[in-house]
Amino acid sequence: MAKTIMIVDDSSSLRTVVGLALKGAGYDVVEGCDGRDALAKLDGRKIHLVISDVNMPNMDGITFVKQMKNLPAYKFTPVIMLTTEASEAKKTEGRDAGVKAWVVKPFQPQQMLMAVQKLVLP
Amino acid sequence: MNLDQAIQAFFDEAFELLQQMEDILLDAESTQSDPELLNALFRTIHTIKGSAGLFALDGIVGFTHQVENALDRLRSGELTLNENLTSLLLRCHDHVKAMLQALVNQSDGPDEASQAALLAELAALTATAGGTPASEPEPATATADTAATMDWLLYLGFGPDVLRHGLDPASFLSYLATLGEVSHVIPLLPGLQAGTAYDPEQNYLQLALRFRGETTLATLHDVFEFAREDSHILIAPLAGAAATLARNEAGLGDTELAQVHAHWLTLGMQTPDEAVAASPDEPEQAADSGAQSAAPLAASVAAPPAGSSNPKKAKTAEKAGEGRFIRVEAEKLDALINLIGELVIAGAAGNLLARQHGAMALQEWSQGISTLIEQIRTGTLSMRMVQIGEIFNRFPRVVRDVTKELGKDVQLDIVGADTELDKSMIDKLGDPLMHLIRNAIDHGIETVAVRTERGKPARGTVRLNAYHESGSILIEVSDDGGGLHRDRILAKAIDRGLITADAALTEQEIFALIFEPGFSTAAQVTSISGRGVGMDVVRRSIEQLRGTIQIDSTPDVGTVFRIRLPLTLAIIDGFLVEIGKATYVIPLEAVIECIELPEALRDASHADHLNLRGELLPLLRLASFLEVPAAENARQNVVVVRTGDRKVGLVVDGLLGEFQTVIKPLGSMFSHIKVIGGSTILGNGQIALILDVNELVQHVTLRDSARFSLTHDFAMLGISSQPTK
Repeated sequence: MAKTIMIVDDSSSLRTVVGLALKGAGYDVVEGCDGRDALAKLDGRKIHLVISDVNMPNMDGITFVKQMKNLPAYKFTPVIMLTTEASEAKKTEGRDAGVKAWVVKPFQPQQMLMAVQKLVLP
Repeated sequence: MNLDQAIQAFFDEAFELLQQMEDILLDAESTQSDPELLNALFRTIHTIKGSAGLFALDGIVGFTHQVENALDRLRSGELTLNENLTSLLLRCHDHVKAMLQALVNQSDGPDEASQAALLAELAALTATAGGTPASEPEPATATADTAATMDWLLYLGFGPDVLRHGLDPASFLSYLATLGEVSHVIPLLPGLQAGTAYDPEQNYLQLALRFRGETTLATLHDVFEFAREDSHILIAPLAGAAATLARNEAGLGDTELAQVHAHWLTLGMQTPDEAVAASPDEPEQAADSGAQSAAPLAASVAAPPAGSSNPKKAKTAEKAGEGRFIRVEAEKLDALINLIGELVIAGAAGNLLARQHGAMALQEWSQGISTLIEQIRTGTLSMRMVQIGEIFNRFPRVVRDVTKELGKDVQLDIVGADTELDKSMIDKLGDPLMHLIRNAIDHGIETVAVRTERGKPARGTVRLNAYHESGSILIEVSDDGGGLHRDRILAKAIDRGLITADAALTEQEIFALIFEPGFSTAAQVTSISGRGVGMDVVRRSIEQLRGTIQIDSTPDVGTVFRIRLPLTLAIIDGFLVEIGKATYVIPLEAVIECIELPEALRDASHADHLNLRGELLPLLRLASFLEVPAAENARQNVVVVRTGDRKVGLVVDGLLGEFQTVIKPLGSMFSHIKVIGGSTILGNGQIALILDVNELVQHVTLRDSARFSLTHDFAMLGISSQPTK
């Protein structure tokens, strides 16, 4: 069974393009448009990897990851955070939340795919 | 969804974000900057940059990166939002918009010089002058060897916390295996605890391994980039392994170093002496395999979306906010509305048949159908309705820019932005409103000095107001400026030969003169209002929408431009009247009341006026006006209609009642007959002509003013020679 990846970003075009690349590589994709939406969409299902933006309306990415990691089912779920070069402070905050994988925006879909494969092969 | 649609979605999204950015910037000027707002501001450009990167739109990424830097510093409090910065950011906004627009139209982008200027200003702000180019993240390590098939030794000292961080040692191994062949693996379990001390959430596994593949050191380091923070990762070409260990770049403890040394020896590490001889390879070129493999995809994305049929294609992406709206092609909706129009006609035909037939059940049934059709009509029409805020929202920017340019101080008040209006009208209202607003600021609002002198608040106000009134939409553009100069308008109009020197005009009529082609009273045409589009164009655009425009002005208090528009263009509620043997439709919104024509006025060919409860009501006998034979012995009626504040009584031969009707345009052959606005088909298949009340009223006004200037008529009518107000 294909591995499931959740993309959380407030830009629907970003979700779409990353989603296309991931689906093309054989992953299943779940989308969330912000942290709150993503939490609701976890819904107990098996998620093999989460890709999340930091800066989003309603609930930011770091809060989302912290809350997700509090749920036993997602304690070990790997997270790739999307970030800008200019957010060293956010990165520290993310580290505390247990995020180790960062991908710098802007990125090409292929770069994202590579990062994903390092953590979870399809 | 494919990539073409995705890029289309990107454009839609980017334009929405830019709109948000503009709104926030304009808003932030008046309010104290609120951190949440600044964050939202940052997010707009941040998201555009992020998404643009996905589509390899490097130009946009490069520029937005610099803007984002400034916004980030703004967000963190290093910069404060003052007028200059807002101005700069707004210009950056314009620039990004122009770049996007160029991509959409596949035309040339905005010129480079302006971009360079903006970038220079941004750089001056952020002090990170000429900052790092944003297009590519830095390659993981600077030292990259040329790719050749060779053996590598790796030590993966995964830290105890990697599992908690979602990093699975096994997955790194699997990924590594996609790059080449992992020939030997030695698992190491240095800290493994027995019994209760064992923590299942902790990682005890470390690996030493030998790998063979066509790759570079950078690529291999890249594999473990996410694990590096938590772990000790050592990678060395087989030949140079001993030297790498000796340098101890990863900062291993002595015990660990000794262990790695031992294991690597087991895996085939050569002694230092052998190694020196065999490691001449130096970096030739940085081959970032990631960037290379991404290139073909990037090219296919960057290709113009040639096949994308319609830019308004519905975004299917699910998103909380988007779920509430469905974007539909305008043509589909138009086709539907046209069909509903036909349905309305067919329904009316059914109604008529049922009535003629006389069967009660049939009549009730057809009544039920009619009610449903009415509901469908209302529902469908409301789909075409959009909030007028859509155009109002672009004006704060206009006001701001024009105000700055003229050195005045003006605020814009918007009221009723949620008033709904037909989409096709919204599109055509932008330019006339823009012109009225520019005019109000330029000619209406006085300079600060003059205002202070007149005892007015220094800051002038331009007000946009929209509301519904008896089947029409009213849009008011008002200012609290100097008002229109009655005498100057008159003088100019006489000078231009628009009116004769002795013409007696009402205030309204004098003001209306400014709508005449080529009329401009501003002593000096400024860059703002002298842009070729005159007030005559404004009036023409409004009239094309079947609307009227009217001016109220009080010297030193201000001016109000009042635009009255029909709710929709496609279907009207009509009032059916009979003239001779033919049926005509009067738009119901213009009808105030119907009265019977008094006996005394029936034949008097000169009695063109009626005393309507003390008010003088001019009459227009439609039968003679339209040159159709009047019906014999008809009990004539007067339909009182109004446009603006003028009332006219239309004399008709019979009243047939209300009728919902679809406007069918007349062929160009009839375009010179102004009093006929269109045609429609009645339930019985007959054709009825729709009367243009505006034109009829205008005709009556002209007729009366012509007649009142002839003395014998005054004498005959016994009316004072002063024109009626």
